[in-house]
Amino acid sequence: MDFKENINIAALSIIDHKFRSFLTMLGIIFGTASVITMVSIGEGAKIQAIAKYKDMGISNIIIRDKDMTETDLEQVRMKFSQGLSLRDAQVIGEIIPGVVDVAPQTEKKIDSRFGDKSAKATLIGITPSILKILNYQIAKGIFINNDHYNRQLKVCFLGASVSHDLFGYENPVGQSVKLDDQWFEVVGVMQTKSLFTETVGELAARDLNSDIYIPLSTFTKRIAKENRFSSELKQLTVKLENSDRLEQSAAVIRSILNRHHFNNNDFSIIIPFELLKQEEKETRIYNLLLASIAAISLLVGGIGIMNIMLASVLERTSEIGIRRAIGASKVDIMNQFATEAVVMSVTGGIMGVLLGITLSLVISFGTAIHTSLTLYSIFIAFGFSVLVGITFGYLPARKAAELKPVESIRY
Amino acid sequence: MMIEIKNLRKDYTMEMVEVQALRGVDLHIPVNEYVAIMGPSGSGKSTLMNILGCLDTPTEGQYFLNSVDVTLLNDKELSAIRNKNIGFVFQSFNLLPRMSALQNVELPLMYAGVEKNKRKEIAIQSLEKVGLSDRIHHKPAELSGGQRQRVSIARALVNNPGIILADEPTGALDSKNGEEIMQIFGKLHREGHTIIVITHEQDIAAHCRRIIYLKDGIIHSDTLTKSNPINL
Repeated sequence: MDFKENINIAALSIIDHKFRSFLTMLGIIFGTASVITMVSIGEGAKIQAIAKYKDMGISNIIIRDKDMTETDLEQVRMKFSQGLSLRDAQVIGEIIPGVVDVAPQTEKKIDSRFGDKSAKATLIGITPSILKILNYQIAKGIFINNDHYNRQLKVCFLGASVSHDLFGYENPVGQSVKLDDQWFEVVGVMQTKSLFTETVGELAARDLNSDIYIPLSTFTKRIAKENRFSSELKQLTVKLENSDRLEQSAAVIRSILNRHHFNNNDFSIIIPFELLKQEEKETRIYNLLLASIAAISLLVGGIGIMNIMLASVLERTSEIGIRRAIGASKVDIMNQFATEAVVMSVTGGIMGVLLGITLSLVISFGTAIHTSLTLYSIFIAFGFSVLVGITFGYLPARKAAELKPVESIRY
Repeated sequence: MMIEIKNLRKDYTMEMVEVQALRGVDLHIPVNEYVAIMGPSGSGKSTLMNILGCLDTPTEGQYFLNSVDVTLLNDKELSAIRNKNIGFVFQSFNLLPRMSALQNVELPLMYAGVEKNKRKEIAIQSLEKVGLSDRIHHKPAELSGGQRQRVSIARALVNNPGIILADEPTGALDSKNGEEIMQIFGKLHREGHTIIVITHEQDIAAHCRRIIYLKDGIIHSDTLTKSNPINL
């Protein structure tokens, strides 16, 4: 009477009661599948969050000019603040230690047009160095370079979705697009960037793919301000050598700018790395919560197994009696029923793993939710389902073993 | 296999009522005995059989099986005795319904730890002994009562036990089949097995060499039969 034989007996008994066994396993199947799916959704969200902040640069500090109404802006200007300016950029670059680069940018909402097609876009005036600082990837053509910048040329670099809206699958490089009322030549197109779906501080949620980049020098010269009080710049991206002293640097930047802006509190500072850490912490809690909810369903599945096994022990009382009479010891009976519970939970666990993998793939491809399958979640879910089987199989098996042969044989 | 019982008592509570099923039984059954245990219902004959078969333990007294006091053995040792030294035949056959005749007969071999490939061979031999070698793959439901009882005898024989314990083996059979079963027991007796049959039918008991009559938990009479005088 070895282990393999016990498995055979258990398998036969399960096959004999296919439908009932399947119903019993259902709890384990869904429990395992939901642990895997939930964790993969959580992991997917985490990866997206990390990608988002990595795009913003983990050794960067971002300073944004606050969005204000014209009236508020007038108030601020009356209190001597000129808003975010190139002078701020220069000061930060000179005073803060470890600054690699300070990239200024301006922004304006515009309409872009090519032929009979048009698209709403955010026009962004930049310096060529922003390419490296924000890790922009070029899909076609080239990025705005120093030559464009120095000569204040009317060239633009398109975000992926603007390019698609205006040109479809044609190559836009070398074509001219109309931005509000001026013509710009397209020099390149950016690769699709992940959607920025939530507002972070002054970084409003927007589709980075609908940005159009032009040289800051051209912007200043050619593009009309939104209103007469608009600041010179909308954003400064400060790149530091590393992420060791982000908070201290940000504090110094804040005090310098407060002084320069006469404490008008007209800017905000965003540290992507800090947000990333916070997000990681939040998603960890969130994931734990998701996994616990799923684990509860596994537990319920285990109780299901126990329930059916108890019923099965009762139903098979006479079988137990016969086996005892012809030589099965308590341990033999115990092993038989415990093995059955384990075989059921392992089978359920395997089916649950397959279902969980399928579900998270379906969710990933079929919906906007991103999922990420991890090996650890599969192991944990499977291991937990086996553990549940052993735990909840023990009691019925014990009950079966403790039945008195004399009574059970006449049952 | 020699059975020696001394002052055996068995009490149990049934629905709050104390029952003294056996009230001091002394019994000696030598090797290769063929004995019938008779008595009205409630006389304690089933309790005696359960204790003889190591399915139950006495409240008091001693039970020596081949000079071993089985009242001192643990579950594992008792299971081994039931497996190797005692073969059970029940009134309602007690075969596992989902298994074929052959698989049913193989079961005791499995618990005895016989290798899987040897089991079939031994089980078939045992089925041949009871004249059922042609229906080994049938499930119990596909067999007649007499055939089922023969399967259960084959199962009882498969580990070649010294003792065959039969509890009303013909109770669920018609007289022709009952007679055939008793023929098999007679043959097994001649081959050297000790056979203990519990019955309330006089003509079944008449096949035996000795009849023990139980009444109110004690042995009322213990006689040799004339009809089946086999010398020891």
